Amino acid sequence: MNGRSGDQVISFRVDGRSVAPPYLQIVQQVKQALRMGVLDVGDKLPTVREVVAATAINPNTVLKAYRDLERDGLVEARAGHGTFVRHRPPGPPPGTHSRLGRSLARWVAEARAAGLDDESMESLLRVALRAETEEEIA
Amino acid sequence: MTWLVWRLHRTQLYIAAALLAALTVLLLVTGLQMASHYHSALAACGASHSCATLASTLFLGSHTIGFLVIMTVGVPALFGLFWGAPLVASELETGTSQFAWMQSVTRKRWLAVTAGEMMLAAAVWGGAVSALVTWWSGPDNALQLDQFKPGRFDIMGIVPVGYALFAMALGLCAGALLRRSVPALAVTLAGFIVVRAVVTIWLRPHYMSAITVTYKLFSPFTPTGSYWQLAQGVLNPAGRVVPAPNGLAIDGVPIGSLPAACASAADGVRPTASCRQALAAFHGFITYQPASRYWAFQGIEFGIFAALAALLIAVTAMVVLRRDV
Amino acid sequence: MIEVQAVPEAAAAIRTSGLGKRYGRVCALSDCTITVPEGRISALIGPNGAGKTTLLRLLAGLTRPTYGEMTVNGGIPRQEPAFLASIGFLAQEIPLYRRLSAEDHIQAGAHLNPCWDGESVRERLTALTIPLDRAVGTLSGGQRSQVALALTLAKRPRLLLLDEPVAALDPLARRNFLALLTDAVAAGGLTVVMSSHLVADLERVCDHIIMLAASRVQLCGDIEELLAEHQMLVGPRKDTSAIERDHRVVQVTRTPRQVTMFVRRCGPVVDPAFQASDISLEELVLAYMGQDAPPALAQLTSIGDDQ
Repeated sequence: MNGRSGDQVISFRVDGRSVAPPYLQIVQQVKQALRMGVLDVGDKLPTVREVVAATAINPNTVLKAYRDLERDGLVEARAGHGTFVRHRPPGPPPGTHSRLGRSLARWVAEARAAGLDDESMESLLRVALRAETEEEIA
Repeated sequence: MTWLVWRLHRTQLYIAAALLAALTVLLLVTGLQMASHYHSALAACGASHSCATLASTLFLGSHTIGFLVIMTVGVPALFGLFWGAPLVASELETGTSQFAWMQSVTRKRWLAVTAGEMMLAAAVWGGAVSALVTWWSGPDNALQLDQFKPGRFDIMGIVPVGYALFAMALGLCAGALLRRSVPALAVTLAGFIVVRAVVTIWLRPHYMSAITVTYKLFSPFTPTGSYWQLAQGVLNPAGRVVPAPNGLAIDGVPIGSLPAACASAADGVRPTASCRQALAAFHGFITYQPASRYWAFQGIEFGIFAALAALLIAVTAMVVLRRDV
Repeated sequence: MIEVQAVPEAAAAIRTSGLGKRYGRVCALSDCTITVPEGRISALIGPNGAGKTTLLRLLAGLTRPTYGEMTVNGGIPRQEPAFLASIGFLAQEIPLYRRLSAEDHIQAGAHLNPCWDGESVRERLTALTIPLDRAVGTLSGGQRSQVALALTLAKRPRLLLLDEPVAALDPLARRNFLALLTDAVAAGGLTVVMSSHLVADLERVCDHIIMLAASRVQLCGDIEELLAEHQMLVGPRKDTSAIERDHRVVQVTRTPRQVTMFVRRCGPVVDPAFQASDISLEELVLAYMGQDAPPALAQLTSIGDDQ
């Protein structure tokens, strides 16, 4: 059952231990794939049955995720043919992600050299995100 | 549903068919031999006018085959044990009954087809064995005239079919009530033996009122044909039964019951005329069922066991259809 | 009193009202009122002896209720081919004939059922490399479960009732089993009620939950809505009567400095002293089970242990 992608462009992974519910994980993985360039406009998403066969999750979960994506305008369902990518999510092009990813890796190396463990780094990030959100609201 | 019953029990049915075939061959061969032996003996005694004693001088067949034939009395019990008891019990025990019940088969249909077809098979097999044995016993019956007697009555005619139906029904009912194969087996065997014994010993003699004939001791009366003797003895002048003679008897009356007039005769002296006169008041009696009633008795006994089978099947149906799983 | 979500008449695969079953003196199930909408995969959770098997057998028509009413697939469970054809029941002991092969069972099904898709069984089992011609008794427990499930699905039931189907399976067999099940649901027209102890699996696969404890229904509803309705409130030790009045407190833990409350909200919680956090399915289940019988906690397997 695992590793059987056939002609699917993307395969999903649902982690039972994650805080996010399964349908949200699928939505996030589609958005991430779009950001990284793995999925492009016009690509066909795996059918509900294909996702279910690979991940053994509730079919309604997949339907819900696809509906969410459709509501956000990222995909559109064509009756009888499947679900296709319509838009990329707003945000910087894939290149930006790799660039930012590399600079983040440098920051992590620096923090680790300074003696911070993973949890301290995560809470620093959370504080920064919250501060930024509060700034935006203010 | 028939397909499933066949698929589940086909090995058992094959084995039974093989055994029946073996028995058929054995009885056919020996039966034909016995028949020709009998007919040639008849021809020989006819020529020498010694046919009256043929019954005690002629022995047909062999002891082994004869024993085997007598043992066919156990065939109905085998059906009950191997086909009847495990049929419902093992399905309830292992839970496989749920497979059929969850495949759109109602419990009624499941029981009707499973029980019905296996009981039919038992009746057919039992009937086949009985027909074979009846045919095979032809010469022996003509010679010994003992087909009405217990032991022979039970293995010929239609009663074996009744026993088979009863044994199957008993096995099914025990299996449905006990839900375990091994206890059901034990109960079936015990129940079958007890019921058969009770019917043979206490009920069968009384299906119809027995006939009692009294006769003069000088001219004993013997019923014709294959009658079934229930009792025989001597009656004193008062009409009481006299203990059977196990030693000396004078004119058929045992020494211990001699009238006063024959006191001297007891010591070996030739009976006097007055003694003879006193003895004439004694009678012999025989209580029996006449040979003409043979088929009536077969029918009645078959009816009893068939009715018992029907009752047991009704109980089985009630248990299986209503009980919670 | 459990509030059962209102579901339009036509759309409920299962609807029971005050259902109960007594065996002699022992009460196996009492006052069970549940609704399962069509198309759901419902998790039947509870400690051993809570009445899960009894409830499943009542719904399948294998057992008759002592009191109460129920509607399954729009009708009352009874011994008639139309009803029997519309439900599939898989008992814990996997009732297959051990001496017969999977192919034999497929043919038996073809003879016994009005509507039978034997090809689907062959396809599914071949995809899992389970031999069709070997006696079922020689297969492993996981393979037998797959055969039994495939056979149950081949009769195209509308409602599938599974009694601890994955209890004895290794993780891979369990995953294959659940994939087969969810695939069948994805094909459409199937409602599933599945009893299990493994909360991790249920979270993945199920969207509806029925919780039994001490032979009674503790919870019944869509998982998402129930999770949204419940919250964990943590705060300093103080007077909590206001919260207890406005919301339904399921479980309370008090230490000298702190109080932790597991509540079912009726409206928002406005007390700023308390920090509210969302809860997981496991916490929900444990909280409701912990109400009645603390020893029941030992019966559940926690998330992660079996992954």
